[in-house]
Amino acid sequence: MLADEVVDCHVLVIGSGGAGVRAAIEASQYGDTVLISKTIVGKGGCTTMAEGGYNAVLREQDSCGIHFEDTLKGGAYLNDPELVNILVKEAPLRMGDLIKWGAVFDFTENDEVAQRPFGGQQFPRTCYAGDRTGHEMMTTLVERLDSSNVSSLQEFTVLDLLKNGESVIGAIALDEKGNIVLLKADSTVLATGGGTKVYDISTNSSSGTGDGFAIGYRAGAELIDMEMIQFHPTGAVFPYDARGRLVTEAVRGEGGLLLNNICERFMKQYDPERMELSTRDVVARAIATEIQAGRGTKNGGVYLDVTHLPREQIETRLPVMLEQFLKFGVDIRNQPMEVAPTAHHIMGGLRITTECRTTLSGLFACGEVAGGVHGANRLGGNALAETQVFGKRAGEFAGKSEKRIKKVDSEQIKRKLAYIDAFLTGSENPAGVRTLLQQSMWQGAGIFRNATDLNKTLRIVNNLSLAPIRAESLRNLAECCIVRNMCLTASLICRSALIRKESRGAHLRVDIHQTHDAIHSPFLHTFMSPFREGIENIGGLA
Amino acid sequence: MRKITARVYRFDKEKDREAHFEEYTVEVNEGARVLHLLHAIHDTLDPTLSYRYCCGSGQCGSCAVRVNREPVLACMEEARDKITIEPLNLPVKKDLVVDLVPTLETIASLKPSDAQKMPKKSDIDAIKPLRDCIECLCCVSVCPAMDVIKFLGPTAMRQEMRLALDPRNIDDRITAAVQEGLFTCTSCQACWKVCPKEIEIPGKAIEKLRYFANKKGLTLPRHQEVAALVKETGRSVTRIEPTFMELMNADVIEPTGPVKATVGFFIGCMYNMRLPKTALDAIEVLRRNGIRVIIPKEQICCGSPLIRTGQLAFLDTLKKRNIDAFWNRHIDTVMTMCAGCGSTLKNDYKTPFVVMDINEVLTKYGIEPPERLPVRATYHDPCHLLRGQGIYDQPRQLIRQVVDLIDMPSICCGSGGGVKSGMPEEAAALGERRGEEIKKTGADIVISSCPFCEFHIAGHTDKPVKNITTLLLEGYKEKDRKTRTLTDPPGN
Repeated sequence: MLADEVVDCHVLVIGSGGAGVRAAIEASQYGDTVLISKTIVGKGGCTTMAEGGYNAVLREQDSCGIHFEDTLKGGAYLNDPELVNILVKEAPLRMGDLIKWGAVFDFTENDEVAQRPFGGQQFPRTCYAGDRTGHEMMTTLVERLDSSNVSSLQEFTVLDLLKNGESVIGAIALDEKGNIVLLKADSTVLATGGGTKVYDISTNSSSGTGDGFAIGYRAGAELIDMEMIQFHPTGAVFPYDARGRLVTEAVRGEGGLLLNNICERFMKQYDPERMELSTRDVVARAIATEIQAGRGTKNGGVYLDVTHLPREQIETRLPVMLEQFLKFGVDIRNQPMEVAPTAHHIMGGLRITTECRTTLSGLFACGEVAGGVHGANRLGGNALAETQVFGKRAGEFAGKSEKRIKKVDSEQIKRKLAYIDAFLTGSENPAGVRTLLQQSMWQGAGIFRNATDLNKTLRIVNNLSLAPIRAESLRNLAECCIVRNMCLTASLICRSALIRKESRGAHLRVDIHQTHDAIHSPFLHTFMSPFREGIENIGGLA
Repeated sequence: MRKITARVYRFDKEKDREAHFEEYTVEVNEGARVLHLLHAIHDTLDPTLSYRYCCGSGQCGSCAVRVNREPVLACMEEARDKITIEPLNLPVKKDLVVDLVPTLETIASLKPSDAQKMPKKSDIDAIKPLRDCIECLCCVSVCPAMDVIKFLGPTAMRQEMRLALDPRNIDDRITAAVQEGLFTCTSCQACWKVCPKEIEIPGKAIEKLRYFANKKGLTLPRHQEVAALVKETGRSVTRIEPTFMELMNADVIEPTGPVKATVGFFIGCMYNMRLPKTALDAIEVLRRNGIRVIIPKEQICCGSPLIRTGQLAFLDTLKKRNIDAFWNRHIDTVMTMCAGCGSTLKNDYKTPFVVMDINEVLTKYGIEPPERLPVRATYHDPCHLLRGQGIYDQPRQLIRQVVDLIDMPSICCGSGGGVKSGMPEEAAALGERRGEEIKKTGADIVISSCPFCEFHIAGHTDKPVKNITTLLLEGYKEKDRKTRTLTDPPGN
């Protein structure tokens, strides 16, 4: 298996969700751009599954200042304020791009983009296209991509970044048949999305396996706040195989009520002011607490009820929800849904500057794989905005970067070939390893955390990452590499969760007694790279 | 957990000379979808099985496969025992993975421009129903036209319509759509019946694009001739022999026995003027089974040939005349015999009366058992009966009372949507394919229930093609013959 396929370009974008495609469109204005994707472009990633909406300040009564404040407060003040500032200022501009490129967002009677309320926000600023907002964006972006001169490599799996000294100069990948391809680039953009597929119950698509975190880490980039996992409050609970499927926050945005098995609107115990539209960390914990206390449904969830809403509102604003539940025998116009928390989003990721530069020269990151924008908890509607704002920036600054010498060190390639060749003589079923990993993570690194369970989980994860997994054929190599990436991402989560000895946002350490609230926390980001790991303190490193 | 056995299509173009099926038995959870069945096979039995999936929740369109020949999303279709799973009808890369990209690349996109105008809410509302498409290509998998002629296909037309409605688009999408094969669609409706998002592409995109094409003067000359004829004569075909209505002396036909029901008969241009004998057979069958038939003389063409080809200029006049013809006579049930007229009256009209196809009428009120005939028949489902009106069982029930029935796949014969007149080569190619399917069944005769199908298929098979009512009538004649033989003294 020789690396005889070589692609040389100015900008290489890895990942074809909202951030990746946006980055590629932008970068193509500056030079040859290649978009490499594990799936068919437009079908992979989580953007296309995002239902609820896109936060942007569009009205005079709203302001970027309020959006900034909401985002920091929602993020338990762990967010990087400079990144948040960029997010809120540029989200409306990027929305403008989407509209110009043909996006079909819902409009008001005044022919303006319509907005609805979402959790943790003082103004209804979530723009939407029914409950298929992400799909609408992806369709628009792929159309725009088609009229650019970006070359797409579809159904290729990136294994690792290529380096020349300390600089990133591209990537090494497998095509769908398992052949090695080298991609050399002056600048590389990592836009691989998230990784909550490391949990047994997750909203993510098949591509949410954390590859970008693992690839970035192995290349030597620094990641921050990897313990910050958002558990979306409302995931489906049955049938078993559909558990975790996202039930959009828009259901609550449109007026859906959360009820326990004694028909009590239990959110009044947890956040009487914001009720169902509290932030996701609060609602997820509330639901988990109700279920643990025995006030859940037979199927292990709580009720999410929209039966009091006009049927027409459900049909036009939540058509995907209606259709999906009908498929499983529940008519949400007449019956309540059953929901429980599901692993949804990783707030942490590669440390980036406002220009999306990572700690490695030549490597940019944007979208869910980057950290810092959402702090300790992401507001619903901020992720889609992030993909566009930072996707554009990553593409722009990668595109504007200088040409560099791309000398590929053959030792690096040999090491990687040896790594994948070992899978061909492995003995263990990768599917089994994956299942064990997902179950261990759900049990030991979920919503309620303590050091004992985290340490135990970390040991299991480390053992699993050493399992001699087997690739039945060359086509199965990618699957093995992905299982290994999942193990590494899971270990980053556990290690960071152990380092952060406080409860903050989505991260709840039940074993730690704490006197400070989020705004007075002495801690900043946790950080992790092959060279150092720890937590930043106000005024210095711990 | 429950056990499921499935047959799965396997093909590796690098190793296999031809495709084969493999049977797997696996345990799946209650409520598992086809995707979870595939996961179970891959994870526990055979890691070399290739299939594509991504979101697992019906939103990305990666996982479409055919289950028992019908395209579905694997992630949404419930896994059942003894199913057969095959790839979509597209070039296979490996096993269930097909090459989607070449088709996806043909779908048009909006070109950004500074000259564009922003949409209004009314534009957005018009575009939205066409925007749900997840490009799973189920529609492409079943489109008969794409198999025989250059046509970009249903979802490409959906996209052209979506662009045509958008003020941000500055290109001429109508001319593009015509070049991409707008007039090759037979309006068979197969695409939207398999669409997981239920996007009504024929009615909401193709016919509308044809209407826009009409306004640009791009209607095919043959279609214009038909429209001119309808406008002049009220009928879509010319008179070449005495018509059914001329042959019927009375306008109320009483049944031979007690009256079970009264219907108004919407005859349609084809049975009236091209196949009047078949319509007379139908009248015989109806009389024998207690149906009183009223035939208002004022009725004219239903307008289907105009709607399907986008020529709507005087459609409202036709509709009004037809509705008045029946309603003025206080008819509360109108019976159609032509599948195209029936579908049009049911779907394109707002009628004050109920519309029923003749197969529905005969099965609703029941028929006298005919004598069985010693022939084997196959049945061709007319698109406008099966998909246009959802009528599947009734014709089969009727046929089985007379002969043994051998089913064949329900695929368009090529006679609809103005294709027979406008795109004769395509219609012939599709007709030939039907001829081959008929041959495969080994049947002696072909039964259908649509004048267009009957007329067209007859030109592409050496087997006799008959209307259901003609077959029933033959059964009755045989019955009468046998009764006579029994009662008549020998040698008389």
